[in-house]
Amino acid sequence: MSASRRAFTADVATYVAYLVICIFFAGPLLWLISLSVRTAAEVYVSDLRIWPDDPTLENYVSALTNPLFAAYLWNGLKLSVAGALGAMLFATPAAYALSRFRFRNRNMVMIGLLAFQMISPLVIMVPLYRYMDGIGLTDSHAGAIMIYIAIAAPLFTWMLKGFLDGIPRSLEDAAMVDGCTRFGAFVRVIVPLTLPGLTAAFVLNAILGWSQFIVPFILISKPNLLPIAVGIFNFQGTYSQTSTQMLAAASVLSIVPAIVVFLVLQRFIIGALMAGAVKG
Amino acid sequence: MSERTETAVRGRRLATRARTRLSEQPLIWIAPLAVLLFITYVYPAVDVVRYSFTNATLLNPVYDYTGASYEAVTGNPDLPGILYVTLVFVVASVVLQLTLGLLVAMALNRGTKRRLPGVSAVRIVILASWIVPGVAAGIVWQLMFQEASYGFINGMLRQVGIDPVAWLSDPDIALWSAIVANVWRGTAFSMILLYAGLVVIPQSLYEAAEVDGANAIKQFWYITLPQLRPIMLINTILISIFTLNTFDLILPLTGGGPGRATEVLALYAYNTVFRNFDLSNGAVLAVLMLLISVVFTLFYIRLLPKET
Repeated sequence: MSASRRAFTADVATYVAYLVICIFFAGPLLWLISLSVRTAAEVYVSDLRIWPDDPTLENYVSALTNPLFAAYLWNGLKLSVAGALGAMLFATPAAYALSRFRFRNRNMVMIGLLAFQMISPLVIMVPLYRYMDGIGLTDSHAGAIMIYIAIAAPLFTWMLKGFLDGIPRSLEDAAMVDGCTRFGAFVRVIVPLTLPGLTAAFVLNAILGWSQFIVPFILISKPNLLPIAVGIFNFQGTYSQTSTQMLAAASVLSIVPAIVVFLVLQRFIIGALMAGAVKG
Repeated sequence: MSERTETAVRGRRLATRARTRLSEQPLIWIAPLAVLLFITYVYPAVDVVRYSFTNATLLNPVYDYTGASYEAVTGNPDLPGILYVTLVFVVASVVLQLTLGLLVAMALNRGTKRRLPGVSAVRIVILASWIVPGVAAGIVWQLMFQEASYGFINGMLRQVGIDPVAWLSDPDIALWSAIVANVWRGTAFSMILLYAGLVVIPQSLYEAAEVDGANAIKQFWYITLPQLRPIMLINTILISIFTLNTFDLILPLTGGGPGRATEVLALYAYNTVFRNFDLSNGAVLAVLMLLISVVFTLFYIRLLPKET
């Protein structure tokens, strides 16, 4: 009796903790949404209104019908998807080798990949900007995508290696006994089996690419080439005080795609991330 | 005719064998990634070091070799302030993210064990804040801390009759506002790692402690914390680096201001290179960032399990 009462008290305490957690983590996003559905007049009311009296979707309509903003969204999608796809091409064979072959310095390679993750893109952007400027790749998506790929590739390899470790070797051995080369077994047997892992790594890296700020911020100056992350920053600079509700709507539009994709695939992604990060 | 067929067959067989032998070479599989990372990371990182010993600017392609930039950077009266701001930002963010991440992970772990309804919803709320792009997070918190009427926190304070606080324009407070925003965005990552660590602690340890009459606090102190130690250390190193490299959150939040109150090292390096076009001094700062990363990485490697 007393034990169950104690458990009940603890349950109540747990829910109180949940409430506090939700207020802290969801509160700012809800405030953003609340500001994004206001008219200009209701942004500046002096009393605190959690929800506007007269909500409107006008800000979203005007953001989405603004050709420049639509270009930001499109560029963000293009860069993040191309970056994650490119990273997949480089990471998949490397992850396969790290999972299947025993060779000297294999651990060194794994650790080396981790070390790349520790380097701020800012450090490499300093010289990369100069090279890219020299060969005319600033203000181009091609140049930016190459760096997106490089930034995503180490994490992609780690996640995929963890996933591949879980696929029994006997499957490709069987294919190789049947006359497949290792390349053949890789393409016909391993890659199809790795699809869930590939998807998870692809989605997570695409989301990280969607958030990527520093690379396009440094490399791209033409407004119609900018991705959404830099787009909303510039938007803040130009509109700041006069149309907060527009800025809020634009920010919501930059957040929603990432969150939706993540939520749909979250179990998948977290599982693959931990397979790579924690298990080592 | 038949000879030619034979040659062709032999040729094909040789090609297959060559391919087979090639495909057993790990290097072949890793080479594309290695080349990519060499071009985009290794070479530029070495080049940053080289630039740090020149007087190069971003606009002028001609430069000479000199050690003057190191003198210029270390002698710059702004540097101690920048490093202090960076240190406070990183240490406070890391401590708060770890503490909060652990509390959240424990609350979620308890809920999962007791099968309380709503646990997964709470987890989703936290993860959502992690997925928010850094720039958007900066804007979100700018709108929370605003001193204008649409700033949420000051709006709340006004509601209960407290004078508004200059969250972003008071140099003593702005750094802490930036830390709160960073903790908001970063806690989920710590939560994920620590939750993974909590789940694998054997239940039998707690049961034994229960039998011995250890209360919840003692169980936390003598079982949970020691068991989580390895993952806490890894977590600390990773988020220290992430926080050190944070740039996209601060820019829309405070822009480094007021004055230089929130100008962390990454932002300072950016401004030096791309605002002042001072490539050589910026390269010195980049080398500093690189060195810090290397030190943290070496610690990290020591902590990793030996066999993978």
